[in-house]
Amino acid sequence: MTSILELRHIGKVFPGVRALDDINIEIRAGEVHALLGENGAGKSTLIKIMTGIYQPDSGEILLAGNPIQIGNAAQAQAHGIAAIYQEPLVFPDLSVAENIFIGHQSSGAIVNWRRMYREAAAIFDQLGVSLDPRSQARGLTLAAQQTVEIAKALSLDARVLIMDEPTASLSAHEVAELFKLTRILRERGVAILFISHRLEEIFEIADRVTVFRDGKHISSRPIAEVHHEQLIRDMVGSNLDEFFVKEVRQKSDLSISVRELSKKGVFSNISFDIFKGEVLGFAGLVGSGRTDVGLALFGIEPADSGIIIWQGESQKIKTPEQALKMGIAYVTEDRRQLGLTLPMSVAANITLATLKNYLNGLGLIRSREETKTATMYRERLSIRTPSIWTETGKLSGGNQQKVMLSKWLNTHPQLLILDEPTRGIDVGAKAEVHRIINDLASRGLAILLISSDMPEVLAMSDRILVMREGRQMGIFNRQDVDQETILKAAMGQAPVRNPA
Amino acid sequence: MQVNLKWDVLKRWETLLAAVLFIVVVFNITQSPVFLRADNLTNLFSLHIEKIIIVLAMALIIINGEIDLSVASVMGLSACLIANLYEQGISIEIAMLCALGAGILCGIVSGFFVAYVGLPSLAVTLAGLIGYRGLAKMLIEDRSIGNFPEWFNRLGQQPLVGSLPLSLIIFFVLFIVVAVALHYAAFGRYVFVIGNNRESARYSGVRVRQVKMTLFIISGLVASLAGILIAARLGAVRASTAEGFELDIITIVLLGGVSVFGGKGTLVGVALSILVVLCLRNGMNLLSITGNTQSTVIGILLILSVLIPNLAQDFQSIWKRRRLNLRE
Amino acid sequence: MIRLSRLLRPEQIRELSLAIIILLVILFFSSNIENYVSGRTFTRISTSIAIITVVAVGQALVILTRNIDLSVGSIVGFAAYFAGQQVSANQDLSPLVVVGIAVGFGALLGGINGFIVSYGRVPAIIVTLGMLAIYRGVLVDYAQAKTITTEMMPTWLIDLPRQNIISIGDVDVRVMVGLALGVMIIFQLCLSSLPFGRRLYAIGSNPDAARIAGLPARRIVLTAYILCGALSGLAGFMFLVRFGTITIAAGQGLELAAIGAVVVGGVNIFGGSGTMFGVLLGAVLIGTLEQSLLRMPQVSEFVRDALLGLFILLAVASDSVILNQLRNLWARWGRERALSAMLPTEKETTHAS
Repeated sequence: MTSILELRHIGKVFPGVRALDDINIEIRAGEVHALLGENGAGKSTLIKIMTGIYQPDSGEILLAGNPIQIGNAAQAQAHGIAAIYQEPLVFPDLSVAENIFIGHQSSGAIVNWRRMYREAAAIFDQLGVSLDPRSQARGLTLAAQQTVEIAKALSLDARVLIMDEPTASLSAHEVAELFKLTRILRERGVAILFISHRLEEIFEIADRVTVFRDGKHISSRPIAEVHHEQLIRDMVGSNLDEFFVKEVRQKSDLSISVRELSKKGVFSNISFDIFKGEVLGFAGLVGSGRTDVGLALFGIEPADSGIIIWQGESQKIKTPEQALKMGIAYVTEDRRQLGLTLPMSVAANITLATLKNYLNGLGLIRSREETKTATMYRERLSIRTPSIWTETGKLSGGNQQKVMLSKWLNTHPQLLILDEPTRGIDVGAKAEVHRIINDLASRGLAILLISSDMPEVLAMSDRILVMREGRQMGIFNRQDVDQETILKAAMGQAPVRNPA
Repeated sequence: MQVNLKWDVLKRWETLLAAVLFIVVVFNITQSPVFLRADNLTNLFSLHIEKIIIVLAMALIIINGEIDLSVASVMGLSACLIANLYEQGISIEIAMLCALGAGILCGIVSGFFVAYVGLPSLAVTLAGLIGYRGLAKMLIEDRSIGNFPEWFNRLGQQPLVGSLPLSLIIFFVLFIVVAVALHYAAFGRYVFVIGNNRESARYSGVRVRQVKMTLFIISGLVASLAGILIAARLGAVRASTAEGFELDIITIVLLGGVSVFGGKGTLVGVALSILVVLCLRNGMNLLSITGNTQSTVIGILLILSVLIPNLAQDFQSIWKRRRLNLRE
Repeated sequence: MIRLSRLLRPEQIRELSLAIIILLVILFFSSNIENYVSGRTFTRISTSIAIITVVAVGQALVILTRNIDLSVGSIVGFAAYFAGQQVSANQDLSPLVVVGIAVGFGALLGGINGFIVSYGRVPAIIVTLGMLAIYRGVLVDYAQAKTITTEMMPTWLIDLPRQNIISIGDVDVRVMVGLALGVMIIFQLCLSSLPFGRRLYAIGSNPDAARIAGLPARRIVLTAYILCGALSGLAGFMFLVRFGTITIAAGQGLELAAIGAVVVGGVNIFGGSGTMFGVLLGAVLIGTLEQSLLRMPQVSEFVRDALLGLFILLAVASDSVILNQLRNLWARWGRERALSAMLPTEKETTHAS
């Protein structure tokens, strides 16, 4: 196999950080090259250099053996380097076909709509997907948006495709579809750089794997020659248990009872109990209505009908303020957009939901109390930050996650709803979050854990509720099920096909 | 510790404004010995007092991620309402209350459409700008109404305590209230959080709609108060009173370093920006430069205030890269 | 309905309903005002909205890219004054040269705005708010309190406002109206069939994606501003022709009227969607209301603005509420369509493998 893109001795320095230090990486035609590393290892910086958003301070980039400059995104495209991201960058107001061709219409000429639709349809045919090229991109699912991006890369004749955590927000079924597309691209000789935090995916799809740590290149090996522990050791620099398994719960009292909760067009007849100290896992595909149940319990999108029995009384939850007052907290899956106010300090974020407890008679904030609380959580959850007055946006993903968790723990909830609490954070931080969940449960907190990470659900939950298309498929005890049973329930009657 | 954080901001924006202010003041002093006299300083504030009172409310609104283009029209409406009611024989005290009530009503209307219906405030308050001015025109058509009671005019024109007229006292009190509310109270925290991202605020149990509604009501109330003050100061009201003031007001707020996208800004910056604009205008008055040229200068200042830091950043990164290349 | 959703987009339904509202408004006035439905009414309304339409088309180009130009009123005034001054100093200038002067001058001022916005990375509202004051201030200094009057104009220019392109019965289509319509149609075609037009939508729809997709966003935004300035310059020429007398206050407040027409016409104030046809409808609706209310004896001229404000508010309110509903519906239908289409292909692929 020939090397398409080669980066030699790449260095990049930001004020105070050496983001990339003498990095070498080579991506070959027709291979899926996985790139692994904890958050902050330098993966994002490398991608930005490859796509022309950043300029390297030193080193050279070779394309098919010739040194090139990638000054901006347009030049990257001209060199045949394309990228798709975890959050695909589509134009919601344009049609699907336009989204594919917008970057490389020859300017000047008149747009030939018919040809554009035809060519888009042809590309979708090649990929074996059915998307209407004429429909507006607004309203497409995340997976469909990624398909559009892949089609765009194909239409550009991309020789190098960078996939930056494409699976982070996809359901198991959608991941399988994505991998099918990835294999089609690989067979066409595209060199693929694949970034993911999920090791099992890397073993499924990758041909070679490179590990970065702290901006340095640690290893590059064929996938056949490595195993799990080795990769994790490379990433964190020491041995680490991949999964923390929750302790068994002792018998306890009921926390919340939900009966036949329904919201028209979203979910229907959801019934479950959660006991104090119990973790109830919510499994299912993305879009199966798990998050919507969480939002209904927190009053963001209230349910239409059904009964919620809370501390022996039937309750209607209409607003987040009300849910908060009752002792329910919801930790969102969208940390950056919905979970935190990134430009504000760590302390301000931690006290935001409970600010009323920090006011004096005049409605002014008692700064000393606020400092005390923030410092307490900083120590308790070991949030790594220069100061509690640091801008939250400057922390790493895992530490931001802990700040968000602190905000909700500080409401002293009796029911904690966690929506994808470990998405997009690195292995080390993930284990810490799992330890925190276990600790909270052992103190008697009832926890509803929504997660697309199947091993996580299996390791952390006492019982698992599986949803599919807004309906409850069943509740299983952890000891009685394995990954396959849950997946089957989550995918309903759909035939389980071999991925290859 | 909080002071530390603010110092960080000061380094970037407020110091720049302070430096500009210093230069303008020194220049004014060298140009005219009158500048530092108490009556000139009072005069400096008095000529634009209504605008800078509204600036305080506008700062809150813009930090919250919204904008209120209708303030000048609300101001005009309030002034015209007083004139109209007084002309009909209603006592000026009741007329003033009605004007304040009308301001609150205007705020409720904008607040309702922005907070509860979810419309962009730019569009809603643009409608308000045109509509409320129309109401003002309906009230007094193309006449000019004056002859207010002696005490009412005196309130607007004569010093009340020492050399300070009532409007200036109102401004200082409001300034302190807004500064404390914005930087030390829960309300201000909510204003910032919502300005950053209203959805994330909602997910933290913040009553987004209530806060936005409150802000627009404050804006309407303050604008109508400013309308009363300008009626008292000028002693006569026309339908076009305060027309176009919104641009000056927004200019001062943005010059003060408040982000037009919301979520960022300090009242220290706004205060400095008020002083810069007022001293600049005063200085130009002393040099007998006309109003339109004054607006040009302030317009240039507004653009440069954002442009220069951007350019400096560009040069810095180019320089840095060149230095790194040299080292190799 | 699902099939229908492929043919019609929510935005088009929005325009259709705007057209219906205009018809209803005309019906209302025709039953309240004598001799309302006549050629004279058409001429009066159409001439009154010609200028605003041209400015609004330019404004829409900028708004589509998620920017705004508040300085258009000042550009119209300055261009009108500058062109008027040139033509009064040199009476022999050919009409085309005068138009060229106005358009070029406007393009220059628009270019300054665009350059600072796109290359200086200063928010559009700050730049154009400043420029609104700067251009006006410079005009005042430049004019030195002199006014351009009709007497200084050559005869062709004085006669132009009353010349028709075409007359059918007593319906006169003035040259100015034809010009405005032409501008609207040309730019509508640009938007729907030139890559440049599609890129305007792309940038307003998702600026980050535009940058990553390698679109020359800065150049495109700059071009939009230059075009907006050029159209404001053209509007300045039309202003000069229509009024003959140009003071230093010419064109003041036009920016708000133009933004009003753009917003009522269904262009999203945050960019990414809207059409020039919609902009024209917005201008027509506002113009019809303004001119017709003037003729209702029971409505004083002072009420006009109040009603206009109310109307903009209602238009925006109904717009956002209804459009959002429609969009949700469309998205749902789109998903259903994709699902129903997926089933057969899935079978095919299983056969293949």
